Amino acid sequence: MKNFYNFKVDNIKGISAQEKEFRNKELDLFSKNGFPNKREEAWKFTDLNTILSKNFANISNDYVSLKEKKFEFIKEFDHNYLYVLDGKLVSNEFKFEDKNKVLIKEYDYKKQIPVRNQNSLNLLNNALATGGYYIEITKDYKLKKPLVIYNQFSESIKEQIVSYKNSLILNENSELTIINYTDTNSKNNFFVNSFDYFKLKKDSYLKNIFINKDRCNCYFHNYLKSDLEQNTNLDNYILSTGLKFNKIDIEINLNEENAKSSIFSALSLGREEHQEIKSSINHNFKNCQSYQKIKNVLNDKSRGVYQGKIFVKQEAQKTDAYQLSKALLLNDNAEFDAKPELEIYADDVKCSHGSTSGSIDLNSIHYLKSRGIPEKEAFQMLINGFLSEILEKLPEDDLKKFLTQKIGRQINGC
Amino acid sequence: MKTEDLKNNKDYKYGFTTDVENIRSPKGLSEETIRFISNIKKEPKWMLEWRLKAFNRLKALKEPDWQKPKYPKINYQDLYYYSAPKSASDKPKSLGEIDPKILETYKKLGIPLDEQKRLNGIAVDAVFDSVSVATTFKDELTKKGIIFCSISEAIQKHPDLVKKYLGSVIPLSDHYFATLNSAVFTDGSFVYIPPNTKCPMELSTYFRINASETGQFERTLIIADKGSYVSYLEGCTAPMRDENQLHAANVELVALDDAEIKYSTVQNWYPGDENGVGGIYNFVTKRGACRGKNSKISWTQVETGSAITWKYPSCILQGDNSVGEFYSIAITNNHQKADTGTKMIHLGKNTKSKIISKGISAGKADNMYRGLVEVKNKASNSRNYTQCDSLLMGNKCGAHTIPYIKNNNSTSTIEHEATTTKINEEQLYYCNQRGLDQEEAVSLIVNGFCKEVLQQLPMEFAVEAQKLVAISLEGSVG
Repeated sequence: MKNFYNFKVDNIKGISAQEKEFRNKELDLFSKNGFPNKREEAWKFTDLNTILSKNFANISNDYVSLKEKKFEFIKEFDHNYLYVLDGKLVSNEFKFEDKNKVLIKEYDYKKQIPVRNQNSLNLLNNALATGGYYIEITKDYKLKKPLVIYNQFSESIKEQIVSYKNSLILNENSELTIINYTDTNSKNNFFVNSFDYFKLKKDSYLKNIFINKDRCNCYFHNYLKSDLEQNTNLDNYILSTGLKFNKIDIEINLNEENAKSSIFSALSLGREEHQEIKSSINHNFKNCQSYQKIKNVLNDKSRGVYQGKIFVKQEAQKTDAYQLSKALLLNDNAEFDAKPELEIYADDVKCSHGSTSGSIDLNSIHYLKSRGIPEKEAFQMLINGFLSEILEKLPEDDLKKFLTQKIGRQINGC
Repeated sequence: MKTEDLKNNKDYKYGFTTDVENIRSPKGLSEETIRFISNIKKEPKWMLEWRLKAFNRLKALKEPDWQKPKYPKINYQDLYYYSAPKSASDKPKSLGEIDPKILETYKKLGIPLDEQKRLNGIAVDAVFDSVSVATTFKDELTKKGIIFCSISEAIQKHPDLVKKYLGSVIPLSDHYFATLNSAVFTDGSFVYIPPNTKCPMELSTYFRINASETGQFERTLIIADKGSYVSYLEGCTAPMRDENQLHAANVELVALDDAEIKYSTVQNWYPGDENGVGGIYNFVTKRGACRGKNSKISWTQVETGSAITWKYPSCILQGDNSVGEFYSIAITNNHQKADTGTKMIHLGKNTKSKIISKGISAGKADNMYRGLVEVKNKASNSRNYTQCDSLLMGNKCGAHTIPYIKNNNSTSTIEHEATTTKINEEQLYYCNQRGLDQEEAVSLIVNGFCKEVLQQLPMEFAVEAQKLVAISLEGSVG
């Protein structure tokens, strides 16, 4: 078969010989198997290799970023921001915060962060990543306003792969709400392969939200690794609708006592969108909690996938882990696949999971219609109701309003 | 372990060996072995060709490696693929002709082959190593037109039925172990229920591995024609040996319009000793096809034995309104490993499936539920409900759940729930308080935990299974 990609480490400028050698090694490892297909357990439901080969003629990594691009500022709520173009940090502003509390610099590629389940896209990221940011929040500092990361991509990018790495360190007793805001409506097809690393030190609290502004024709893969220390809290909200292909692979390591993590997702998908959430929650210490609730509404030819794994180590007694995925299928061409997995080696635990998928309850529709509500509206009401459970969990009033509105528009749009 | 030790070991009461003279095939897996098996069974040419086709396909296949329980590499050239008691080489025409030692064996196992003495109304096909040694109640069944015989006999006497259905559910080249079975299968049961007939008694096969260094490869084929009903039971035991023995069976069920098949298994192969030495590798392929409208296939299994159990009794729901059910109890203790579950594939409209799985893990065992529920695009108004619960006893064992759920139809509903817990301390305390000792209490609670599945078993089996549940967990608490 003809290869539909052509990656070269030489396209990356200004790296040492040593780094070049490392990157070439990673690229060789990637090339052995290429893009993942269904034979890999982590991609059981998605043949990325086929999807990409159908939609791309030749993916390369030799894109050129535009010098300057305007972005539309969110007015609905006050926030700090980071402006990132093609994964490279361009500017930032923290006008609501005290000075010298937030450290921002470019990502340091000398440090390697190992991941639990190596996958070929991580190898590719290791080989090709450039740019990216490093944020560190000072001890005992709680940010007053959320931080929005405006992720934009140059319009010239087409048939290319953009790779970068970010990392975020929360020092002891600090707090942050971060919004990953993907702002692109490109009609061009390109692939974004990113890697994020969160480190939560004792007593810190991080809320992490994924959302995007527009529909676009891009393919995203994000691997998010996080390490949690004692008494920390990590809440993830995945609300990114409208992307042609999106897979978020979340690895959460609960390494010390009383660490808590959650993943909430409300997605309303249409057209030929493909959204996939893969989680692997590793209970490595006793008395930790994890919670996952995934809700998908699927229309047209869309596809929702949830692969969640809870792993409980032998010493992780008194674990409390919960996993629920629910899907509403509105069209026979839509598909929902789930693999909620439990791997448990400790006996004094409370672990459960549930998964349902089905159609909208026609009795409820009938009930609403009999009270004078038109059918279309009745459907929307029920869909709203279905997703509202997640939306209610969103943090902070202004932000919640903004996000709810955004999702509301997406529901009504499809 | 020395033979004497084995005799003294009372934990596994079926661990004895029977001293009978054997006829064996040449050692190893080769075309010669397959020709030997086919020849000794006096099979027609088409059967030999079928086997050889499977053997050729096997050469291109690799052993699967995705499963959780890993096992040392099996040397397929070091096994005997056919072993039969010498006295059975000409199939006995009546029970009086069976080697008394074999009769004694089955008596010890509690399987009555003597028709006069048995009361419980079950027709038995007894398979000893590679051959079927006796089938009871043939006459009574023949009157109704029911065919219940060994598969070797069916190949000779009912070639049309065998040709039509053999390999129609598990294709010749399905996966490694299924294909291996297709190439070298030695015996097994064949059941055909004619249209509009309700089988008057439970049909049963009892499998026994006796000879050492042999693998058992049996093949069962059950066909329920339109409007018929059959309940089929399967039991298995093996002597204690410190070598691992391979058991790779294929079971195919076909249910036509309005037919129902109920298939129950109590699997009690030798699980190995407490250090994980010896035991049976139970790598079995079981699959049923609900071909006709309103047909139903129900699998019930109690898995307590085997060093490694690796099986997924599945239902392909092709006919509209067909129903698939799967009830399972899997108990693992010491070093046992189980990777079991089911597949429900909904193809027809209004198809329903139900999965109840109970896993109990003790000692250093690993117990896994792995299942697939798939609703295809055209299977409108289909329904699935899955419940899998795991119970952990002690902190050295593992319990895992991996369900695969695929829904591609907007009018169908799939529900799945699973929990993992340990035995409730309060319940234990309550039982202790009322004078039950720890082991009795655990057995009572576990039996309660498994009740939904035990209820599905035919009465005689349910009693045996309940005892088995208690025995399997002896010494695991306290």
